[in-house]
Amino acid sequence: MGYKKNCYVALGLILVVTGVGASCVFASDPPPEGGAESVAVRLHLTDDAISADDPNAPVWDTIQPAEFKLAPQVHWPDRIQEVTVKSVKVRGMHNGRDMAILLEYADPTEDAADAAAIEFMVGDKMAHFAHGQEMLQVEGGAVNIWYWKKEHGKATDMSAKGFKTIRAQENQNVSATGAWQAGTWRVVFSRPLQTGDEHDVQITPGEWRNLAFAFWDGEIVDGAVREQGSQKAVSSWWYVRAEPPPDNSMYGYVVLGIALAAGFEFFLLRRIRRGNES
Amino acid sequence: MKGPLAKTVILLVGMYVFLKFILPLFTAPLPASLIFLYLALTLASAMIFYTMSGGSLDEFMGPIGRFLTGTGQTGIAGTARILVFVLFPLLVGWQTYTRLAPSDMPPAENRTIHPAPPGEFVGLANPYERTQDNIMMGKGLYAAFCSPCHGANFDGKGPAAVGFNPPPANFGDPGTIAQLQESYLFWRIKKGGVGLPVEAMPWKSAMPRWEVELPDEWIWKIIMGEYDGAGQSPRTWEEEE
Ligand code: HEC
Repeated sequence: MGYKKNCYVALGLILVVTGVGASCVFASDPPPEGGAESVAVRLHLTDDAISADDPNAPVWDTIQPAEFKLAPQVHWPDRIQEVTVKSVKVRGMHNGRDMAILLEYADPTEDAADAAAIEFMVGDKMAHFAHGQEMLQVEGGAVNIWYWKKEHGKATDMSAKGFKTIRAQENQNVSATGAWQAGTWRVVFSRPLQTGDEHDVQITPGEWRNLAFAFWDGEIVDGAVREQGSQKAVSSWWYVRAEPPPDNSMYGYVVLGIALAAGFEFFLLRRIRRGNES
Repeated sequence: MKGPLAKTVILLVGMYVFLKFILPLFTAPLPASLIFLYLALTLASAMIFYTMSGGSLDEFMGPIGRFLTGTGQTGIAGTARILVFVLFPLLVGWQTYTRLAPSDMPPAENRTIHPAPPGEFVGLANPYERTQDNIMMGKGLYAAFCSPCHGANFDGKGPAAVGFNPPPANFGDPGTIAQLQESYLFWRIKKGGVGLPVEAMPWKSAMPRWEVELPDEWIWKIIMGEYDGAGQSPRTWEEEE
């Protein structure tokens, strides 16, 4: 057997082993850190109009929710040690133009001051999940907050960059509707994916964005609202992505890959046979 | 099955079983990428070993060459050969697919948990004496300010812990405060999550910036109470050398 032939066989062997090894590596490395059940909200792509004002539209029940645990806000004053809303189920959809996110959570009583909010990072600068508060070594960005309160009967599109800077925006792009039934709130927020407003989060299908949640139980206890202001249930950052339209161009590359591999086998064999003859 | 190739295959399988299943019984499981690297190194060493020890690459490669060309093959070996020839292109196709297919997983996050502290927080000594009174005071402050997240038992399982990602540190874990100096804790507690550098992703951390609420004296005593309560001791300067 020729030396040259062996080199080809060795090469082939190394390629195969690398291929198998790489597939194992990419198949089994652990997913990103995260203590809760989910790490991301997926906005499912649909062809239909987005059901923006009906939290009980049947289409929502066809979507598998992501679920996130919530904590009493103990990160900055004024703190609260116990909150009503312990976790939230989140479903999302978009049709390439408009999007909607449905929040579903348990709250035993329906109260005028019940409220829910979704927070997003805006643009490319990272922002701290607590109202985009100042970071000491990193220049942070602003956050966009979509706030719904039962007694307002609508959403407010807000911005913040640091504690006590939260304010309603000039351009209001978000709508929201809530429906309470048997101890469960369902609140649907909707908006165009793109708004052209630099204070808003812009959602591009296929791109990951960061979002966080907050909830207030507005029940009146001893003459005071149970949870308000910074006293609320919160999450830190999770991910959201609008599902991109299917891309079939990759199948061309798959076919190319198979053809190249078959061609490689063919030449490898020919080399070995020639080596054997000489 | 006494050829060098067969021996190598057995060696590789043995290595894999050891790295994947036996080692994790004693330490943390190895990431798949590391296992793969070790196996690749083992294979390369085996090949070098056989060629160096006179056996020549021929002896090692011979069976593979004969298998691939189908020399003198019948029955099962023949079928296996065809299977290999069919499977290899399919594997490449599948690899291409999994690489290109849109992933449902968010971007991987490699957050540095213990980044270097700013210079002014290196080498500070706790100015308070480790007396029983000071430790008790520290534990009391810990219970009031830290336990909602880090837990009354210092295990990172406070009632507010579940909502946060990354989770509050578990001080009983040998990977946290036992590895750190008091000076480092003083920095982390004073400046909080927002004081971290970019590689530690400060925007995600719920650790409060305590300097706006607690005097330095309290922070130093909390550090004492924290080590005592968690049954750990700080890393000292001598160990650092
Ligand atoms: C709102 C929840 C929260 C509270 C309250 C809180 N922490 Fe933390 N802490 C965290 C989180 C989350 C982390 C992990 C992320 C990080 O390192 O910033 C952390 C990390 C730390 C670390 C770093 C450990 C390491 O291995 O690097 C120390 C030290 C610490 N906390 C001490 C304290 C002390 C002392 C208090 C009370 C004065 C306290 N924390 C209160 C959430 C909290």
